[in-house]
Amino acid sequence: MPQKRSILSLDTWAVVLSLGLALLVRFGVLKSVTW
Amino acid sequence: MSVSSTLPDLRESYPPHAPHAVPEQKTSLLGLVPGILLLFVVGFAGKFVEHAINTYTKAHHITFPNIEYVLWAIVFGIVIANTIGLPKLFRPGVATYEFWLKAGIILLGARFLLGDILKLGGISLALVAIAFALSLAFMTWLGRALDLGPKLTTLLAVGSSVCGVSAIIATQGAIEADEQDTSTAIAAILALGAISLFAFPAIGHALHMSDHAYGIWAGLAVDNTAEATAAGALYSDAAGKFAVLAKTCRNALIGFVVLGYAIAWARKGLASAANEAQLKNKAAFLWNKFPKFVLGFVLISLLATLGTLDPKLYPHLASLAPLGFTKPQLLALGNLSRWAFLLTFAGVGLRTNLRDLFKQGARPFLVGALGEVAIAAITLALVLGADRLYHL
Repeated sequence: MPQKRSILSLDTWAVVLSLGLALLVRFGVLKSVTW
Repeated sequence: MSVSSTLPDLRESYPPHAPHAVPEQKTSLLGLVPGILLLFVVGFAGKFVEHAINTYTKAHHITFPNIEYVLWAIVFGIVIANTIGLPKLFRPGVATYEFWLKAGIILLGARFLLGDILKLGGISLALVAIAFALSLAFMTWLGRALDLGPKLTTLLAVGSSVCGVSAIIATQGAIEADEQDTSTAIAAILALGAISLFAFPAIGHALHMSDHAYGIWAGLAVDNTAEATAAGALYSDAAGKFAVLAKTCRNALIGFVVLGYAIAWARKGLASAANEAQLKNKAAFLWNKFPKFVLGFVLISLLATLGTLDPKLYPHLASLAPLGFTKPQLLALGNLSRWAFLLTFAGVGLRTNLRDLFKQGARPFLVGALGEVAIAAITLALVLGADRLYHL
């Protein structure tokens, strides 16, 4: 059965998530990330 | 004789997860959780083993080479996938490794200044263009010599010279290749990618290549973005960074290559009405095929660069500097990128099915393998030449 395609591509979702994380870091919500 | 008559459709069990690829079955966000947790556990196990070995060898004054967590994560993944297998419950989540790869690349932009991207990216683009022309000509000749058929040859040529599975999927639509040819080309490229994970670092160490030169070579020669990133990171953290930069330049070219093929196919009168209609708006065609994560990578790098600008040196840009990231913020973003890559490397291992490496028929594998060796040699010569000229 054909399924409904997401409006955004995988690439675009990755951009959205990454920029979201970058904003959290930029505005101090995410202060430090250890590795 | 059909060389691929017994070929399984790998995309059923190993969807390529290329841009625009749609999974076979719809999965809820909750359905992704078990697989993502497995990616994390396998990746973290790799990190834990690297740390444990380093701590033990230091405490006991044993000289032992540092084996990066990347290799452990990939090996653990391969062992799980090829012994107990990957239960269905985990598959949708494991398939998200391509998503984490792209998020990792975008966040890696924080570790590059825009000037570095322009310099190394420019050199990489020039090398990509030369390598692409040479390898495409070689693969086309080889495919014809081994009687593979023009569409399969084209898919193999694009897959090995541009950027692996994503390029194959994008070109499949443009030249209207059938499912069998596409599966064969994908299987060959995935098999060769798995082999290059182990071959490239060994060659790099044997030639005592610098992190910069090796990273750019891996980025230019290894097909899939995930494998190119892993092959770079297996050498060193810095080499992984430069492998991603060179690979991103290759990825940015997908749209132009696919457009070129679509136009060539249309001129031969082989394109469908739908494809001919798409070609009327070439800018929209290019935008559809362009990997958007490249833009995210450049944007994060731009913000990273703004934060490091000295207002005395660039007074006209001083008002923009507050928009940029501070050093601790760049460190946090760089580490977020490392976590995303950790999930990716676990996925690379969990996706590698050793039995399928040899199931695809000898001739496509042979064309792919000979092409890979030729491309690796061409790009190695180009990178070593560029290293002498520009001190990469």
